[in-house]
Order: sequence, then C-alpha cells, then structure tokens
Amino acid sequence: MFDQKKLVVSHPPFVHIGSRVTERSYHIILAAVPAVLLGFVQYGPSAAAVVTLAVSSAILWELLMNRVTKRAITIGDGHAALIGLLLAMLLPASVPWWAVIAGTFIAVVIGKHIYGGIGSNAFNPVAVAFAIVTISWKDLFDFNAALLNYDLNFTAVYPLAAAKHFGAAAVESFSLMDLLMGRQMGGIGATFGLGLIAGGIYLMLRGFIRWEIALTFLAGVFVTAFVFQVFDPVRFAGPGFHLLTGYTLIGAFFLATEDSSSPVNFIPMLIYGAAGGIMTVLIRNIGAYVDGVILAILVINLLNPLLDKIRPQALGKVF
Amino acid sequence: MFSKKELQLAYGLAIILVVLGAVCYAAFPQKTPIPPLRLLFKVATGNVLFDHQTHGSAAGYGITCRDWHHTLEEEETTDVESCSECHAPGEGDEDVPKRADALHAQCIGCHQEFEAGPAECSACHVM
Repeated sequence: MFDQKKLVVSHPPFVHIGSRVTERSYHIILAAVPAVLLGFVQYGPSAAAVVTLAVSSAILWELLMNRVTKRAITIGDGHAALIGLLLAMLLPASVPWWAVIAGTFIAVVIGKHIYGGIGSNAFNPVAVAFAIVTISWKDLFDFNAALLNYDLNFTAVYPLAAAKHFGAAAVESFSLMDLLMGRQMGGIGATFGLGLIAGGIYLMLRGFIRWEIALTFLAGVFVTAFVFQVFDPVRFAGPGFHLLTGYTLIGAFFLATEDSSSPVNFIPMLIYGAAGGIMTVLIRNIGAYVDGVILAILVINLLNPLLDKIRPQALGKVF
Repeated sequence: MFSKKELQLAYGLAIILVVLGAVCYAAFPQKTPIPPLRLLFKVATGNVLFDHQTHGSAAGYGITCRDWHHTLEEEETTDVESCSECHAPGEGDEDVPKRADALHAQCIGCHQEFEAGPAECSACHVM
C-alpha cells in the first residue's frame, strides 16, 4: 500500500501562511540572544561594541551591494543582520573596529552577494569571513593574546589551546558545568553552552534549523573525541570537553545548519553533520589549528552538492 | 518585496547600532590595566603567556613589584620602565644580560628556588 498522505496536493492558488525569510532570520537572532548577553556580562562594553558594529555594518554592506548591483533592497529580510550577529559571536571582545568591518564585508559581499545573494551561497558566509580574517590577522583572534586585559573570574586560558599544547591533564580543572555556564574564554557569543543549547532546541522545535544536521554534528564530535580519548587519554581531552568548548555548539546549531550551504535530503543531512563533527575533532586533535569547527564547516559545505546527489528514488520512474 | 515595517526595522537597526558601536568603541578603548593582568611575551621559540596578577598578588605567589622590576622605588607600584629605556639593545655591555637571559634567569631562578612552577621549556613556551 502506498502512503496516501504523500500524494494529496490541493490545486492552486495557494494561501501564503505568512512565514517568510524575515521571520526565520529574526527567530535565529532571538535564539542567539542568551549567548550574546552572557558575552556582554563577561566582557562589558567592548563586547557590545563588536556586536553592534558587526550587525549594523553587515546591514550597511548589504544595502550598499543592493545599490551597486541595482537590485531590490533586501535588508528587510534580516539575513544581513543575522550574518553580522553570528560573526560577532565568534570574535573576541577585543577585536578592533576595522577588523569587524572587514569581517562583515567579507561575509556579506564576498560570502553572500558575489554568489548571487541569499540562497545562492555555496559556503556559509560567516565561516568564510571568519576563516579569512583569522588567517589574515592571526594575533587578533588568538584568544589568549586577545583577552589579556580582561579580568575574568575563571581560568583565563583558552581551553582548546591548553588541551592542544598540554594534553588532557591541563584541562581537568575545567568542569563540564563551568563550560556549560560559559565560565571559559572564547568568542563573545560562543562560550555559553546552556544558552546555545537552549537556542538550538528552540530552533529545532520550530523547524528553523534541521535537527538532523545539528545532532549528527554533535554526535560526530562526541564519537570522534571519545575514540581519540580511548586511544590516548593523556594527550586527548574527552568528548564532553570537546562538545562544550570552542565553536562546537554555535557551529552545530547556528553555522552548519545554514540552509543554502547544507543538504536537503535526510541521508545527506546525516552524513553532512557527522562529517562536520568528525572533521572538527580531527583538526583539533591532530591538525595545525586550535579549533577546527569553522574549517570543518567549510569542508562540509564543499561536500554539500555531492551529498545531495544521494536522493530518494523518484516515484513511478521507469528504467 | 518587503513590508514598510520590515524595512524600517532594518534601517532602524543599522542606524541605531552603528551609532552605539561607534560610541562604545570611542568611549571604551582597549587599555592595559596597571598593573597588568596577563602578559604575552612573543618569542620565536613559542610565545609565553605570563599570569602577572597571580604572580604579583598576595593571594597568588606574593612576589613584590621590586623583586622583579629593579627600577622601582620602595612601595612604588606604577611607572615600570621598559628595559630598553635604559639599556639600548645591542649596546654590548657585558654586565647587562640580554633581555631573554634576564627573563630566563628570573623565571627559572624563582621556579627552582621554590621548587614550583614549570620546569620544562615547552611548559612556558607554547603558542
């Protein structure tokens, strides 16, 4: 028996339910707010400076591109604001204004508009921008160097750098509860594990992001980190540590799930997410970089068109 | 395309946040506190992240300012001069150690004396 429900489609004209890109963008922004607020509390006005400048400059770059390319004004969909916010969440609070503006330029102009605007970008614009600015100005984005002047009421060492240089013993002092509550160095909006998880669950429940990608990304990180730890528990930190440090959570819920650079079918989404998680831990544990999330996301973005070739068999196809 | 409300929100966000961002950047510039909290010595063999606050505070290792900064007067805690303000780099005076030797002697000497702190090179020179 075939599934009757799948074949029921009414005749046009259809009624728009009112859900638009705008709604989607602002809901994702809303889901990110708790994590950003903790960044404001920890790093004060300098974090607010980075976030406000990133959001506004991203909108203004998009407006400029709309004007230059003589296309319709698209800033109303909130997507540029979302790009600016997500980029700011990855940055250290000490980042200078020109680097913020350069970052949003790369994200909006190079990462999004050169590809043809929303829905056409092959790579996550935020990941493209962050990868380029971190490789260009390494010292500005090394958290240990960038956050020297902040009096933090927790261990003032970037956990992933400590794990990479000194092994698992150096990060034993970070309890999972501390990491979950954001008591760790990192990006303005990337350290508050609980806030990011709450935001992610909200977005998954509302259907704004795909749970298949987010959860398999986290599962990929967990399983790979677990295998490494079993292999060498002195050198490699455990899976809980990898899940709650660096950009794992913001990557899983807010970056890997970006729609135009991720697959649409079920099996490809699972492979895509899991590959991202596995790559993240591979880069962290045996790669050259301290954190691997951003580069892992760019790699899975590359895989996306290939993965989407795995399709369900078309109904009624004759061979 | 977009409703007037959506566009107004985007324009409003852009204008308000750009002003806020500019004000925050102008009003709260990045400054190194005196005394500093942490210092990063950039060297070719691996940067050293030094926790100045823990070494200098009574709750930490309790090293006084004069123990380390020999130009300071008694009870003086600010106005720490850079080495190069008195000793020109490469001046060739044999009595004056090179900066790296001086820092090594102070760090390693203290760690050995108190049998505490890192001993291996790679425990300090990491990044």
